[in-house]
Amino acid sequence: MTLFDYIADRWDRLALQSWLHVSEVVQSTLLAAVLGVLIGVAVYRSPVGSAVATGLASTILTIPSFALLGLLIPVFGLGPTPAVVALVLYALLPITRNTIVGLAGVDPAVTDAAKGIGMGRLAVLTRVELRLAWPAILAGMRVATQMLMGIAVIAAYAKGPGLGGEVFSGLTRAGSANATNQALAGTLGVVVLALLLEGVYFFIARFTVSRGIRG
Amino acid sequence: MSDVDVTGLSSEPGLKRADRVRLLAQPLAVLVVVGAVLVWAFARETDEIEAESIQAGVLLTKTWEHLLITVVVTAIVVGVAVPLGAMLTRRWAKPVAPVFLGIANIGQAAPALGVLVLFFLWTGWEGLWAAALPIAFYSLLPVLRNTIVGIQSVDPSLVDAARGIGMSPRSVLLRVEMPLALPMVLAGIRTSLVLAVGTATLAFFVNGGGLGELVDTGYKLNRPAVLVVGAVLAVGLALVVDWLGALAEQLLGPKGLG
Repeated sequence: MTLFDYIADRWDRLALQSWLHVSEVVQSTLLAAVLGVLIGVAVYRSPVGSAVATGLASTILTIPSFALLGLLIPVFGLGPTPAVVALVLYALLPITRNTIVGLAGVDPAVTDAAKGIGMGRLAVLTRVELRLAWPAILAGMRVATQMLMGIAVIAAYAKGPGLGGEVFSGLTRAGSANATNQALAGTLGVVVLALLLEGVYFFIARFTVSRGIRG
Repeated sequence: MSDVDVTGLSSEPGLKRADRVRLLAQPLAVLVVVGAVLVWAFARETDEIEAESIQAGVLLTKTWEHLLITVVVTAIVVGVAVPLGAMLTRRWAKPVAPVFLGIANIGQAAPALGVLVLFFLWTGWEGLWAAALPIAFYSLLPVLRNTIVGIQSVDPSLVDAARGIGMSPRSVLLRVEMPLALPMVLAGIRTSLVLAVGTATLAFFVNGGGLGELVDTGYKLNRPAVLVVGAVLAVGLALVVDWLGALAEQLLGPKGLG
């Protein structure tokens, strides 16, 4: 059986796994974006707070994903929960760091002007600072998504959903007829989906970045 | 859009402070946490199955295997990516540079576990090399990209000056361009190191050993203590390797820069 025959034959299951993979990654990225932006907003004015937040987040990212997943199994059991917790933790770093860098990079003259025309603290943050930092935040989300696509494969070890299941059953069934096709379909599927998401980010950036700062 | 490297070990000036905090706090935290977990693991009552894994000899062997994979991977990555990157910045190689970067990009976009499993299924190899080669392919990109970018961002007037005083192309590369590109190259190597030590936890899937094996044993035999010891050692090792990389960045960078 060639790879194409295999994919055609198992299309229904592969499509479902692809969908679960993308949905798991996108949901984790969104959750991490909410948390990351909140953390970023909380600490960006204090150099010490920024250093601690980025330092901690970098440390989390240094942790091998398989080891973190292993540590989460005794706590959360098997299934989607440990997978999503691990994915959110890994996505935090690029998003938090980019939020801090983006917010810190806003020209003080602009925020002064906003205050000068009578905007309150919250309005300055939501209507000026966050909008100017948005391209950086979005870039962080993009990096996080790409990274999570690969980590989600490993999360299938703890019975997480997605294409990782294909890779693992290809490994356990090594030597049998479709083992290589199965692992190949899983791996290539992840690469293709990652490219598609990259395209989605391109369009999101195109339509959501404030017109004044669009390059 | 601002470009951000994936490992988060950046050299953006605004975040230097975060790096300094980590340089101090990281080894201390590792010592405390790993020490505490080891004391806990050895002090508690272990049943027969746990005792087979939780003993100094086994833990040392697994840590050593893990470290060996990391060192072999890094040696391959540095040995391949630095010369290749330097070569691709030569004028005659301009047209093929994007091809190599593209291949390395795909290598990293592919999930690490998928690359590892496919290499195993295609070659049928097992053990250290079956793990080290695909992991090296997977972690090649940061060093390759940073070598190319580092050399390309050397001030052209310095290269001109070096040529002007009669240096051969070879010594321009080795004595001017490479030293100036060194901080970028070192940052890339550190990123690769972290990728390698992390991916090495997957080596046991192809019988390459390493600390991932303890996690797997603990999970399969339902012995959370074994799992936790393996995972915490893997985390500790990754943080120590990352710390050594940071230290190397500080110590080996050329004195004239920064």
